[in-house]
Amino acid sequence: MTAAVSLRGIGKSYSGKDAASFAALHDVDLDIETNEFLVITGRSGCGKTTLLNVASGLATPTSGTVTVDGVDIWSISDAERSGLRNRTMGFVFQFPSLIPGLSLEQNVMLPLEFSGVEHEDGPQRARELLDLVGLGHRTEALPRELSAGQQQRVVVARALVNRPTLLLADEPSSDLDEETEDEIMQIFSRVHSEQRLTIAMVTHARNLIPFGTRHLEMGDGTVRADGADPGANGD
Amino acid sequence: MVLTTVIISRGGQDSLRLARERLGADVVVVPRGSVTGVEGALLLGNATNTYMPRGVVDRITAVPGVAQASSQLYLTSMANSSCCSVSTMFMFAFDPVTDFTVEPWLQEKLGHDLQVGQAVGGADVFVPEGQDKIKLYGYDFDLVGNLERTGTNLDQTLFMTFPSAYAMQEISKTKAKMALPLLTDTVSSVLVKVDQGADRTQVAQAITDAVPEVQAVPAAEMFGSYGDQISGVLRTLVVIVVLTVALSLALMAVIFLMSVHDRRRQIGVLRALGATQRFVMLAYMTEASVLAVAGGLAGAVLAVVVVYFFHDLLVSALGFTILLPSVLSMIVLVVVGLLVALVVAAAAAIVPALRASREEPAVSMRE
Repeated sequence: MTAAVSLRGIGKSYSGKDAASFAALHDVDLDIETNEFLVITGRSGCGKTTLLNVASGLATPTSGTVTVDGVDIWSISDAERSGLRNRTMGFVFQFPSLIPGLSLEQNVMLPLEFSGVEHEDGPQRARELLDLVGLGHRTEALPRELSAGQQQRVVVARALVNRPTLLLADEPSSDLDEETEDEIMQIFSRVHSEQRLTIAMVTHARNLIPFGTRHLEMGDGTVRADGADPGANGD
Repeated sequence: MVLTTVIISRGGQDSLRLARERLGADVVVVPRGSVTGVEGALLLGNATNTYMPRGVVDRITAVPGVAQASSQLYLTSMANSSCCSVSTMFMFAFDPVTDFTVEPWLQEKLGHDLQVGQAVGGADVFVPEGQDKIKLYGYDFDLVGNLERTGTNLDQTLFMTFPSAYAMQEISKTKAKMALPLLTDTVSSVLVKVDQGADRTQVAQAITDAVPEVQAVPAAEMFGSYGDQISGVLRTLVVIVVLTVALSLALMAVIFLMSVHDRRRQIGVLRALGATQRFVMLAYMTEASVLAVAGGLAGAVLAVVVVYFFHDLLVSALGFTILLPSVLSMIVLVVVGLLVALVVAAAAAIVPALRASREEPAVSMRE
């Protein structure tokens, strides 16, 4: 079976102020299989967010190749890469990422706006997803009227609006309380099982590992351990 | 700033051009040493007593190269008088037999010469409300028409024939509060048409040589001091405008850089969701354009208000007349001003917009 995302020989270095470069990633080979729920853990600075950014085309690798659905994403133009990202990926970031001046419904529909295709069912789809995350009654609200946890739920809805095949979550619950964190994780589990969504989630919270079907431990910019987790989906 | 400068410069130059055209002459002859005074009287309405013996007219006519010569007399100016329809009205008398400035207009518009007791006004002269004539020094004038606007003192001038002026003087002795101080057998200026093919400058020099008590100036050089003044003021204004535009450009560039910096993370998120580099560029350039149009319109309105409502103050401060543009010209100038604003805003925004669009989304989203 073709992996949803395939990384080969990935390295990512940043130039420091004193011109010395820092290798955030080196020698990373990784296949994220279709319908996997991959949980990536590691200490701060180990490269897990960089790995997610490189895999999704948000950061350019210094070396190696990234293949998404069989396409080498760094052999295509920026416009094509943006389109591929729009069609196949959904993102949940650690920081508040809703657009302040847009309503919840408008925020959820943003990926549809960038798809370049008319979506007559866009508003309907947005409302359904807001229902899924428990905010169907607040479609016209603005982000500032919501708590951090509620905003993160809207971000999850936005990540799903384009019916992506891959959901990338970078520390999605790090700023949330336990109850809200559990709500977010339950949504992830639900869409993973019901919609057969591939999920790659970065977290430093080891208590979230059981939600995944596979656990990747990173350290010093490379994969330290890689294995299936018997506590799949938090059961 | 740009729009105001353009209005002032064009208005000043148009005003001078129309004043020269209104003279209708190739050469203007005035008493020696009074060119500046005559220019000030014609353009700005400055009081002047410039007189020379009527006998110079025949001597001027005899100069080789002179085809026609017609005399004019500056009668007086009246400020805030009950008779007058404008704040300050000036009176000119002309010789209806030899005149070639007002007469052609009279023939075209009225089909006849001015009769005694009739007068033609500049653009701003009108019969006071409730009256059917303009009464000056106890003498009633029929206002038979108005000349086109020049933006100069000529717009507040009443033109009459010498016979009408003398009739008014006679009546003033008994019916006016003060008799009209009119010197008979005197003229203030002589307008000259040269022979076809004759050199205006040479004819002017010949007149000055033949009649030493006068000064002859080619009409094209008339108001030369005011032309220099306009140029001087414009040079200063241009420097100020250039500096202002440069400073605006720099400030706007800083503001756009700050705006991009403040929204870096937001741009990164939009890029992650599928926005292209082109989208980001377009968004910023559109924002810059909207700001430019809004600011440009506000500036245009301010320029129009300043120039129209403070016109007299500007004329007084700058020392030259300004012909205000027509509505169509103003629209064109406003459009040009908006284009300038758009270019400046685009120049200020393009580097920050390019940087924002080309930055890696992951870098943009980093705290």
